[in-house]
Amino acid sequence: MPDQTIPDQLLLQHKVEQFYYREARLLDNRQYQSWLALCAENIQYIMPARGNPLVNNLEHGNESMISVERELEGVDSDGCPLREESYLHLALRVDRSFKINAWAENPAARTRRIVGNVEIIDVDGEQLSVTSNFHLFYARPGAANFIYAGQRRDLLKVTEESYQISQREIIMDMADVRVPTLGLFL
Amino acid sequence: MKVADLVNADATLISRRAWSDERVYQLEKRGIFGKAWLFLGHETQIPNTGDFVQAYMCETPIILARGEDDDIYACINSCSHRGLPVCRADHGNTKRFVCPYHNWSYKVSGELVAIPQERMVKKGPDKSVLGLKRVPRVESWRGMIFGSFDENIESLDSYLGDMRFYLDAFFERFPAGIEFMGAPHRWVIDANWKLPMENQLGDVNHGPYLHAAVIPPEANQEIYDHGFSVVPGPGHGATFRLMPEDVPIEQVAWGFEGLGTLLGGDEVQEYLCEVQRQSAERVGAIRSRMKGLTFGVYPNLSFLWSNTSFKVSHPRGPGQVEYWSWAAVPADAPDNIKKILRRNYSSFFGPGGILEQEDAESWMQQYLGSAIDFADDRCFYYGLGLGEEKPHPDLPGLVSGTANEYYARAFFQRWRDALMAVEDDHA
Repeated sequence: MPDQTIPDQLLLQHKVEQFYYREARLLDNRQYQSWLALCAENIQYIMPARGNPLVNNLEHGNESMISVERELEGVDSDGCPLREESYLHLALRVDRSFKINAWAENPAARTRRIVGNVEIIDVDGEQLSVTSNFHLFYARPGAANFIYAGQRRDLLKVTEESYQISQREIIMDMADVRVPTLGLFL
Repeated sequence: MKVADLVNADATLISRRAWSDERVYQLEKRGIFGKAWLFLGHETQIPNTGDFVQAYMCETPIILARGEDDDIYACINSCSHRGLPVCRADHGNTKRFVCPYHNWSYKVSGELVAIPQERMVKKGPDKSVLGLKRVPRVESWRGMIFGSFDENIESLDSYLGDMRFYLDAFFERFPAGIEFMGAPHRWVIDANWKLPMENQLGDVNHGPYLHAAVIPPEANQEIYDHGFSVVPGPGHGATFRLMPEDVPIEQVAWGFEGLGTLLGGDEVQEYLCEVQRQSAERVGAIRSRMKGLTFGVYPNLSFLWSNTSFKVSHPRGPGQVEYWSWAAVPADAPDNIKKILRRNYSSFFGPGGILEQEDAESWMQQYLGSAIDFADDRCFYYGLGLGEEKPHPDLPGLVSGTANEYYARAFFQRWRDALMAVEDDHA
């Protein structure tokens, strides 16, 4: 963002961070309908699969040998991402949350999200590319407590009031999946 | 504890201990997982020499690979020297597996080819007897690879028996068969391995209740009106709707149930209709009207036709399971259609699936219920529809409506016999 002054950059950083804090608060308060309003109607919501590939010996000595990207099976891969959803999928999940027979969350799980390391990677007109990290504490009644950690790679669309998420890619950090579901709003 | 006390004669009562007792689990390992054909992977995952994927036979880690002679090999992933896994990646292509500890190295087919320390001792060991332990029987059917630790087991064809008729109702719809997309999704659930299996073997009855938040009532009505539950042989199961001859094509065609397809646009819908148009010629009149639900192959392989996913329930003790699932798609479908179809699986099933959340929760809670103290006199009731299963002129096996729990009774009768066969062994 070379053409931005320092005060402009600070203001932008502040606005983006406030957006993520509000998003986390809405989700932890189970205000999923309000959360859905933060998503653009053409949102791509993606969670790549993450495996343990063979180390590429030909690349030894280089960062590419052990890069995170090698572990991911995203939307463009021939593999199978864990999630690749549209606004309608998210709306279906929100709709489910407010039905009494969504038994996995009845009684509801308690969650607490901490979002940090918010880094604005690029500004392109009305679109921001932002990465952030999250820790999510998840406690389902009658089950153990779980920690989810990961990175979010977002595209945010600038709106009159704030932002809308037009793309979210979630990179999960667990090596073995030992949580009850990866179907949460992350 | 006697196995005969865990399942009554007609298997209408199943002891809670069958699910939660460590001694039962040890018998299952020997009597079932040491003897049955177990699903390892699909040939499309390892098309080239040196390709490998990891698999499990119960808790035993397996490398499934295509050797230099183009044959398929399954070996236990444990070095003959100190027992470390020699393969640490999920999948890939390699010439050699090298043990990290002392660099003993193996061909992907398991032969030991190098011991670095050999030249420093006077007499090197006989490498020909120090290869990775091979799974003694490996056979494929329609690209599906199975292995067995029992050298004397019947052929895979005979083991699958009439189950092939039902699996082919799907496989044979596609001229090039099916392929698995990428690595399996795998996740650990605090549940007994048999419940995920039972869930897909024939338990469509939980759908309208457990999944009422997501599955619309009309879908359930279709199952009430046209649903069948078939046991092609004890321990195997197939459920499906046999749609009337005069319904519109998109009401019979596989794939139209999921949001993935509906959102996928005209192109995928036209593709699915075309598959259906050709189906009578490919699989015959009866099977072309089959709109599949869930299938199970004894002891722990499942197939969810509606969302085209294969699943394996790998035990990790009586109270834990590592569940694996793959997206399966027609091998000759265009790439963009494959991608739409894989979403039809992952959005609803697998670790992130909307529907699977409720299943995993139920399986965890059932395990807690199985381990309750002071309830051993209250066996689980498996008697719904007792004796209602009958032969059918067009469908092999014993056939009934979907509320009949015969699929589970037949599974547990086979399970009981398998455990009784080994319970007096002193291994």
